Amino acid sequence: MTGYIQEFKDKKKPSDYHARLISELEDANKTFRAFLAFKNDSKSNEDGMPFSVKSNICVKGTETSAASKMLKGYIPPYNATSVERMLDKKFGFIGETNMDEFGFGTFGINCETPARNAFDEEYVAGGSSSGAAVATALIKYHVALAESTGGSIATPAALNGVVGFTPTYGAVSRYGLIDYANSLDKIGVMARSAHDVKEVFDTIRGRDEYDMTCVVEDIKAEKRDTLFVIDDLMKQADERIRDEFEKLLSKTEKMGYRIERINSDILGKAVEPYYIIAMAEASTTLAKYTGFKYGFQYKQFNKHYNEFFKDARENFGTEAKRRIILGTFIRSASIKDRYYSKALMVRRMIIEEMNKILKKGFIISPTFPIMTPKISEASKLTPVQNYALDLFTIPPNVGGFPHISFPYSYMDGMPVGAQLIGESANDHAIIDFVSEWEKHFDYKFKHNLGAL
Amino acid sequence: MKDEEFERLLKITRIKLTTTEREVIKKDVDEILGYFDKIEKLHVERKPAYQPIDVPTRMRKDAVKKFKDPSLLLKETETYNSYVLGPKL
Repeated sequence: MTGYIQEFKDKKKPSDYHARLISELEDANKTFRAFLAFKNDSKSNEDGMPFSVKSNICVKGTETSAASKMLKGYIPPYNATSVERMLDKKFGFIGETNMDEFGFGTFGINCETPARNAFDEEYVAGGSSSGAAVATALIKYHVALAESTGGSIATPAALNGVVGFTPTYGAVSRYGLIDYANSLDKIGVMARSAHDVKEVFDTIRGRDEYDMTCVVEDIKAEKRDTLFVIDDLMKQADERIRDEFEKLLSKTEKMGYRIERINSDILGKAVEPYYIIAMAEASTTLAKYTGFKYGFQYKQFNKHYNEFFKDARENFGTEAKRRIILGTFIRSASIKDRYYSKALMVRRMIIEEMNKILKKGFIISPTFPIMTPKISEASKLTPVQNYALDLFTIPPNVGGFPHISFPYSYMDGMPVGAQLIGESANDHAIIDFVSEWEKHFDYKFKHNLGAL
Repeated sequence: MKDEEFERLLKITRIKLTTTEREVIKKDVDEILGYFDKIEKLHVERKPAYQPIDVPTRMRKDAVKKFKDPSLLLKETETYNSYVLGPKL
C-alpha cells in the first residue's frame, strides 16, 4: 500500500478537519486516555496529516509533562527538533500522548490516569509510549512520534496492533526530549503502515547541531534473506505465544526467507545490565527536577534548600523514586565496579554478539513474551517480574540497533506483534521487510476516528 | 541493603517516603539488587560501552545565539526583578 499519509493528501477534507477530529478524540479520551493535552493553536498546519507527540517530547506552547506531577504545567518555549521537522513538512500537530511517568514502565500504568488498550479497555496499553500506540490504533489518518529506552515503542505498538519503529541510536535528534537515560533514548515512530513509518522517519532523521550524539546519517536498505531465531530467548516466552510465532515463521518461509535457530547465552542476559545502566542514568537526569523551575513550582522559598528539595521531590511517583534510589546506589564509588562498570562491559559484549548475527541476517522474535494482561493483573506484578518481560525488546535497545514491531496475528480478539532487528543504520531494510509483510497480511483496527 | 545505607541514599537523593512507600520500596530494592547480582557471575573483560555507538567529539561554534523570546524561559520560574527565585542556602 502507499500508506495513509498519501491517502490523506488525496482526500477532500473539510476546512475544520482537525477541530472535528479533536472533538471526536476528546470523547474517545474519556475511555482510552490516549491524550494528555490537545493542541491549542488552531492555525498550525490545519490541513496537514495529523501527528501526535509523546508527552516527553517538547512542543512549543503545549503542556509537556512526561505524565509526571513534577512537570505538570510545563509549557516548553521551543519545539524538539523532530517536531520542528514534522511541522516543516506540513504535518499537523494534534496533541501530546499519555505514557508511564518519565518513561518508567512496560504497561503504561505507572502514571495518574493510565491509557487503555484500543482493543479492550480492560487491558493494558503497554508502555511506556502507551498513548502513542492507542492514538495510532484509534485514528485512521495519523502518525505518532514516540520514544524508546528499552522497548517503549515496540511493546505498546504490539499490544495495540500497530507498527512501531525504533531507529538506530543516533539517527534521530534527541534535542527537546525529556531524557530518561541518555545513552539509551531514541525518538521513533508509530503508524498504521510501514510506508508511513518510513516517510516520517525520513522526515525527522539527520544531523542536528543541538544533539552531538546524532551522527548516523547514511541509512541503508540492505535486504537479508535469513531470519535468526534466538532459542535462549524463545524458551522464556509463553507456550501460546511460541506456538503462534511458529506460524509466522512458516509464513515468512513461504515469502522466501530462511529461518535459522541459534543459541546466544549473552542475549538472554541483557535485561539486568540494561536496567543497571538505565537506572544509573535516570538517577542523574531526574536530579534537575527541584521544584523551582520547569512545571511544578513549590514556592516555599523560606525553607532551607534540603527541606525544600525533599518536599518538592515528593511529587515523583513510586517507580521514579525507586529508580532514583537504586540508580544513586549503583553509581556509588564503592559499588560502581560491581554493577555499573560491569553492565557497560556486558553491553559491549551484547553489541559484539549482535553485530556478528546481524551481518548475516535479521533477528526475529515475538515482541512481548505473554498475552496482553488486564490492567488489574499487571498492577499485581513485582518490579522484577515487570522488568523480566522486556526480554525481547531490551537487546536491540541496549545496543542501539534499529527494530520494528508489526502485527502478525490476533488471539482472543487481541493483536500480537513480532519484532525484527537489523544491523546498525540498516533501518530502511527492516521497514521494507514489514512493507513486504503487509502484502500478505491485513491489519485489523476496531476504530477509525477521523475517517474521510 | 542495610537500613543505614537506605537512609543515606534517601538523604543524598532528597527523597522523602511515606511509611507505606518506605516498606514497599525497601523490599523492592532488595529484590531488584538480588536480580542484578546475576551480572556478577558473568566473566567479561571489555572496554565499557558508555554509548551504543562511537560518538566523535564534535563541538558547536562558541558563538552567542539569542533565544527569540527570553521571557518565555522565565515563565517557568518565580522571578524578582528578572532574578530567578530559589530556596535559601
